[in-house]
Amino acid sequence: MAEAFMAYPELRNPFEAKPIHPEGSATVLYQGKAITLSSLGKGDGLLIDPADLTQINGFVLKAEGACFEDLCIPMTDDVLIEQDGTQWFSLTAFAALLGQPFVADHEAGVWSFAEIPAKRENMMLNAQAPDLEITDRKGSVIRMADLKGKKALIVTWSSW
Amino acid sequence: MPVWQRIYEEINDPNFVLICAAEDTGGEAAAGPIFDAANPTYIQVIDENHLISSAFNFVNVPSAAWIDETGQIVRIDEGTYSMLHSFGEGEQAISFGTDVYEPALKDWVAKGADSEHVQSAETVAGNIRQHSSDQQKADAAFRLGNLFRMYGQEAKADQYWEMARELNPDSVNFIRQNLTLTEEGSAGETFREMMGAYVSAGRDYYRPLDIKL
Repeated sequence: MAEAFMAYPELRNPFEAKPIHPEGSATVLYQGKAITLSSLGKGDGLLIDPADLTQINGFVLKAEGACFEDLCIPMTDDVLIEQDGTQWFSLTAFAALLGQPFVADHEAGVWSFAEIPAKRENMMLNAQAPDLEITDRKGSVIRMADLKGKKALIVTWSSW
Repeated sequence: MPVWQRIYEEINDPNFVLICAAEDTGGEAAAGPIFDAANPTYIQVIDENHLISSAFNFVNVPSAAWIDETGQIVRIDEGTYSMLHSFGEGEQAISFGTDVYEPALKDWVAKGADSEHVQSAETVAGNIRQHSSDQQKADAAFRLGNLFRMYGQEAKADQYWEMARELNPDSVNFIRQNLTLTEEGSAGETFREMMGAYVSAGRDYYRPLDIKL
C-alpha cells in the first residue's frame, strides 16, 4: 500500500450519535437546509402542514396553485389531501408533479430533496446563474442575485 | 489558495467578486487551515454539502463559472487550475494545471463582453453537463448521508454516500470525497486506478479547457 495521501479517516465519524429530531417528527433536506417538522399527516408519502411549505421550498399556496415567482403548479387531489377534517400537503406527490428527485429514509423520518428542475431551466437553457444561496465562513449569506452589477468567478476546490 | 489570493489582488477591481468554495464534508477541520494559510480577502465558502457543484452540475474540482454583471454565465465547467503545477523529476515527473486560465480571467475582468474568452449563452448552455434524474437524485442521497454522519450514524451515512456514487458514477467529487475518509486517502491506489481507467477509456478527467491566448 502506498503512503496515505489526503486521508482524513479521523473525520469518518467525528460526531456523537444522537437523534436527528424529536420522536414523531420528520426532517426535510433541501438546498442545504434541514427543516424539522412536527406536524405530519399519516400515509406513505410525506404529508406536511401546508403552512410549512414556504419555509421548505419557497412555494406559496394560492388560489391558482402552489406558486414560486411566476411558476404556478395547479393542485391535484393527491397533493392536497384531507384527513379527519385536516388538510395536508403531500410534499412527495408534489415532487412527483415537478419531476423533483428525492431520497427518503423512512426509518429515520428524513426526506432529502434534489433541486426542482423548473427552477433550473433558466440555467440549463439560457445560461443564467442558478438560484443559489450560500453561507461564507464569516456567516454572511450570499445569493447569486446579490452579485448582479459585478463580475463573479465561482471556483470550487477541496482539501482532498 | 495563495495563488487565487495573488490573482485577486492583482485584478484589484471592486466590481470583481471571487468566491472560492471548498467542496469538503470535513468542514472547517479539513478546509479551514488551508484557507487561513492563504490570508484570503476573497469570499471563502466551506460547502460541506457540495451545493455549488450541485447547482452548476460540476463533477470534479477545481471547476468554475464566470458570471457577468447581468447574471449571465459566460464560461463554465473547465478544469480551473490557476497555474501549472509540476512535481518530481525524470520519469517520475507529474505536471497538471494550466498557465492560460489566469490571463484569460484577467482579460475578461478588464474587457467584459469584449473579451475573446466570453462564450455565448448557447455555447455555455451546451457546456453545462446534462444530469439525468438519477444523477440529480445522487445529490439528495449525498446530503442525506452527510446528515447521518453529522448525527453520528455512520452505517446510514455510508449507505447513502454509496447510493450517491452509484447514481452518479461520473462524480469524481463523490468518489474522492469518500476516499478521504479511508486510510489510503483520496489520492491513493483507488484514485490512481480510477485515473488509469479514465485514461484507458479515453475520457477526460476534466472537461477540456478551451482557451487560446
